[in-house]
Amino acid sequence: MVYQDTLQLADHGEGAYEITDLIADFIKESKIRVGTCQLFIHSSSASLLIGDTADEVTKNETAAFMAQLAPSSDNIDNKINASMDAVPEAMRYAVAQTSLSIPVSNGKPGIGVWQGIFLWEQSKHAAERKLTITVTGE
Amino acid sequence: MVHQQQLRVSTRGRGTFDISRQVDEVIHDSGVKQGICQVFIHHTSASLILCENADPAVRTDLETFMKKIVPDGDSMFRHIDEGPDDMPAHVRTVLTQSSLSIPVDNGKDTLGTWQGIYLWEHRTHPHTRKITVTVMGE
Repeated sequence: MVYQDTLQLADHGEGAYEITDLIADFIKESKIRVGTCQLFIHSSSASLLIGDTADEVTKNETAAFMAQLAPSSDNIDNKINASMDAVPEAMRYAVAQTSLSIPVSNGKPGIGVWQGIFLWEQSKHAAERKLTITVTGE
Repeated sequence: MVHQQQLRVSTRGRGTFDISRQVDEVIHDSGVKQGICQVFIHHTSASLILCENADPAVRTDLETFMKKIVPDGDSMFRHIDEGPDDMPAHVRTVLTQSSLSIPVDNGKDTLGTWQGIYLWEHRTHPHTRKITVTVMGE
């Protein structure tokens, strides 16, 4: 059995936003008990990640590390800002995930106690994001 | 057809551990001849990689590379309650994979001759890690 839908996620601005509950609800709706759930984001400056939910600091420091690895050009020069903004964000995006797959066990996301699924908006010029969720199994 | 099974892998602290054989055993047990195998790790301080398995120096070099880009004890990190390797372990997990998908054909994984599935322990102390393997197909 396959259950799929594309959801519009509201613009939250730059940062990581937990969407675990939304995924859990979707899996429940699918009535699939065992299988996999694939998430796919239709964007080139927002990605998906599985992160630690025990300490809020972890999320912020992951974002800080990535910002250091590929610093945003937002503050460099206003004149080139609009076109250059896409470059570091695209680099961060390349090391992040466009698609993420998790197990479905007992009709729920089969993830660890301290794991959460996050939408990671990497651009200051955020927008509504389209997320396709596909649950496959029986 | 869906077959799901959990593995427990004991690590000896930071490093890579070949789990290809355990994953292939699950595929064999599933009876699935053709389909997809998803491997998922339930932790945020250990991850999964597909890596070359001929020369162990490749994995030693990957370790050296990771130490260089995410140094233990980096002063930018505050999430260090469990030691200087605490936050770096989360970042290293985000930079690698929590989930892998591999094609199944003829009742086996279709990994390349020199590809291996590795659990990458990012904490310096030994841990027991939980992995869910889901095989789907017919």
